[in-house]
Amino acid sequence: MSQRRGIHVDQSDLLCKKGCGYYGNTAWHGLCSKCWREEYQQVRQKQIQDDWALAEKLQREEEAAYASTQGTQSQSQAAASQTHPAPPSLGPFSKFEEKKTNEKTRKVTTVKKFFSSSSSRTPKKETQEGRTISPSINRHTSLEMDQVSKDFTEFLKNLHKPGREILKQCRVFIMNVSSKKELKADELSECVQDFYQNMADRLTGHFKGSSESVEQVMDQVEKYIMSRMYKVAFCPETTDDERKDLAIQKRIRELHWVTIQMLCVPIEEEIPEVSDKVVNAITDIIEMDSKKVPQDKLGCIKRCCKHIFSAIRSTKNEPASADDFLPALIYIVLKANPPRLQSNIQYITRFCNPSRLMTGEEAYYFTNLCCAVAFIEKLDAQSLNLSPEEFERYMSGQASPRFHSAEGEQHRAEAGATNPVLEQLNHNLEQLTGLIARQERLVEAAQSMQADLLSWPECVQREVDNILEEYPLEILPRTVAAIDAHDVDSDRLPHPLTPQVCAQ
Amino acid sequence: MSTIRVDAKVVMLGKESVGKTSLVERYVHHRFLVGPYQNTIGAAFVAKPIQLGEKVVTLGIWDTAGSERYEAMSRIYYRGARAAIVCYDLTDSSSFQRARFWVKELQNCEEVIEQVLYVLYHILKWETLKVGFFLSSVNNGPRLHTILFVALQQCKIYLCGTKNDLITADRSLRQIDYHDAQDFAEEIGAQYFETSSKTGNNVDELFHKVAEDYNNAAFQFMSEESGVDLGQKKDSYFYSCCHNN
Repeated sequence: MSQRRGIHVDQSDLLCKKGCGYYGNTAWHGLCSKCWREEYQQVRQKQIQDDWALAEKLQREEEAAYASTQGTQSQSQAAASQTHPAPPSLGPFSKFEEKKTNEKTRKVTTVKKFFSSSSSRTPKKETQEGRTISPSINRHTSLEMDQVSKDFTEFLKNLHKPGREILKQCRVFIMNVSSKKELKADELSECVQDFYQNMADRLTGHFKGSSESVEQVMDQVEKYIMSRMYKVAFCPETTDDERKDLAIQKRIRELHWVTIQMLCVPIEEEIPEVSDKVVNAITDIIEMDSKKVPQDKLGCIKRCCKHIFSAIRSTKNEPASADDFLPALIYIVLKANPPRLQSNIQYITRFCNPSRLMTGEEAYYFTNLCCAVAFIEKLDAQSLNLSPEEFERYMSGQASPRFHSAEGEQHRAEAGATNPVLEQLNHNLEQLTGLIARQERLVEAAQSMQADLLSWPECVQREVDNILEEYPLEILPRTVAAIDAHDVDSDRLPHPLTPQVCAQ
Repeated sequence: MSTIRVDAKVVMLGKESVGKTSLVERYVHHRFLVGPYQNTIGAAFVAKPIQLGEKVVTLGIWDTAGSERYEAMSRIYYRGARAAIVCYDLTDSSSFQRARFWVKELQNCEEVIEQVLYVLYHILKWETLKVGFFLSSVNNGPRLHTILFVALQQCKIYLCGTKNDLITADRSLRQIDYHDAQDFAEEIGAQYFETSSKTGNNVDELFHKVAEDYNNAAFQFMSEESGVDLGQKKDSYFYSCCHNN
C-alpha cells in the first residue's frame, strides 16, 4: 500500500470554466450550475415560463376536474379555457400569453399533465387519448416482451384490484411516452422518474408503509416499463451518448498498455484461479450491454464486482477494501472495454428506480463504475506515476511498458517472448494447432471405426459360414429301439443263473 | 433479488491506510486484521442492521478509496449520503489535513442546495410541486426528487481519529491534540470520536450514534413532510383514480 504514491488530478480541471470557484460539470459544458444557468438564461427563460404556465394550468385544471368529478363526473374541459393569471416575479409575459393559446396543440402538455404528481384525475381521459394516438405499440411486441408482460400480469394478479390499477397505469404511461417521439432524453427520464415516484407513493399508501412489498412491486413495474421502452430510452438520438460511447471506447483502446502494476492492483493473474475470476468479471461487465432493464444491468455490474472481490481475496488472502477494489475495477474496465459503456451508465442513471441507485449494494458498485470511467477519462501521466514523455510514447504506441529500457536492445528480439499478449497469442495458436491435430486424429479414428463397423457383419458372416462349412449339419436317421427288441449286447451277458437242486 | 434494503448511506472518507476498512471490519465482524475471513469476500460495502429500541435501521457503509489519485472522483461517492465518517490517523498529522479537505468538500456540496431549499420551503412557503418545477427548470440536469432527496436529508459529519490504542501505549505518538480535533469538530458541527479498531474502543458507539442520528432526523423529516401537506394530496390522488376508472 505504501508504494502508492500521491497523484493529483488537477483540481483546476474540475472547477467551473468561468473561474467562480465552484466545481464544474461536463454535463454543463464545464461550468458550474450557477454559471451554466446564467449562460443559458435566455434559453432557459422560455423553458421556465413554460413550466410555470404548466404548473399554474395544472393547478387550475385539477381543481376544476376535482370539482367536476365531485359533481357530474363529466370530464369537462372547463379548466383549459380558463384564463390564467401570470405567475409572479418572472420575466416578460407577452410571449407567455401567446404560448398559452397554443398550449392545447403542444404535445408535451398531455404528458406532463399526466406525470405531474397531483394531476392524477385525468387517467381516464389519458387512456382514450393514448389509444387513439398510438394503437401500434402493441403490434410491435416481440416474444420477449410478451413474456415480460405475462410475468408482470401474473405478478399483479396476486394484488387483485390494485394490481389491475397498476397495470393500467403502466400501459397508459407507456402509450403516452411512445406517442411523444420528440421527447428529449432528460425529459423522458423525468417522466419516468416522476412515474416511479407517484407509483411508489401510492403503493406506500396502499401497503401502509411496508417498504418490502412496495419495492417488490416497484421492481416489477420498472422491469415492465423499461423493457417496453428500451428502444426509445436507450442511447436516444437526441443525446450525444453515442459520441461519448465512441470516445470512451477509443480512449480505452489507446490505453491498452496500462499494466496492473501501474494501477497498483492487488491481483496476480498468474494464479489460474484468479485469472479465471478476472475473465468472469470481464464477461459480466460486457454482458451488461445485452440487458434491457436497468436493474438487470446493475445485476451484471454487481456480479462483475463480486468476481473482482474474490479475485483480490484469492491474491491477498484478506477481504478487499475500497483501496484495492477501485483500481481493480478500473483495470477490468480497461481490459473489457465494455460496449456502449456511457450509454449504459446514462441509461441506468436516467431510468433506474432511484431508491436502488442511492443507497444499496448495487448503488455502491455502480458508483464505483462511474468513478472508474471518470478516472479513465481523466487519466494522465501523473495518475500512473509516469513521466509525461513516457506517457506520450506509450499513448502514441512508440513504446510499450512491458519491455523497459533496462533490457536495452535485446528486447525487440524477445518481443514475442516477453510481451504477454503475444505470448498468450502464441499459446493460443499452439493450443489451436494441438486441437486441430487432435481433431484430425479423432476423425481418423472415427473413420476407421466406421469401416470396422461396416466390415464387422461381413466378418461375422464369414466366420459363421466357415464354421457351418467345417461342421456341416447332418441329420442322422433316427433309430428308435423298442424296449423289448432283440438286443445284441444282451447275448454277451452270462446266462442267468439256473436254479439247482441241492442234495441234502 | 436478494438485496438487503438499506435505509441510510454512510460513507467512510479518509486518507489511505488510516484504517477505514479496519474500522468497518471491527464494527461489523468484531475482528482486527486476523481472520476468519472465509465468509466475506469484500469489506468495501457492508449493510449492517442496527437495533434502536423497537426499530431496526440498516446502515449501508461505503468504503472509499483514499488515494489522492481518486480525489477528484470523491464527490461521486458521497452524493446522497446521510452520514460521512471522516477518518484520520491520530499519529499522522498529514491525514488530519486530508480530513479537513474532505470536510470542506462535504460542506461545499451540501450548502448550496440546502440554502436554496430552505428559502423555497420556509420563506416562500412553496409547495413541493412548485419547488420541483422550479428546480427542474433551473438546470434541467438532476431530477426533482433526487435533489429533494439529497437536500432534505442532510449529510451529517462524524470526525473520527483512529488507532487510539497506539496513543494509549505511547503518548508521544500523538500528533493531533485532542482539544484541537474537538474544536475543529465543534466548528463544523460534527461529532468527534477517537476509536481503536484493534481494541474495539468506541467503535460501536460511533456507528450507534450514526444510526441514532439518522433515526431522529428521519423522524423529523416525516413530521416536516406532513407540514407541506404531501400526505393529504396523495390520499386524494389514490382515491380519485379508483373512482375514475
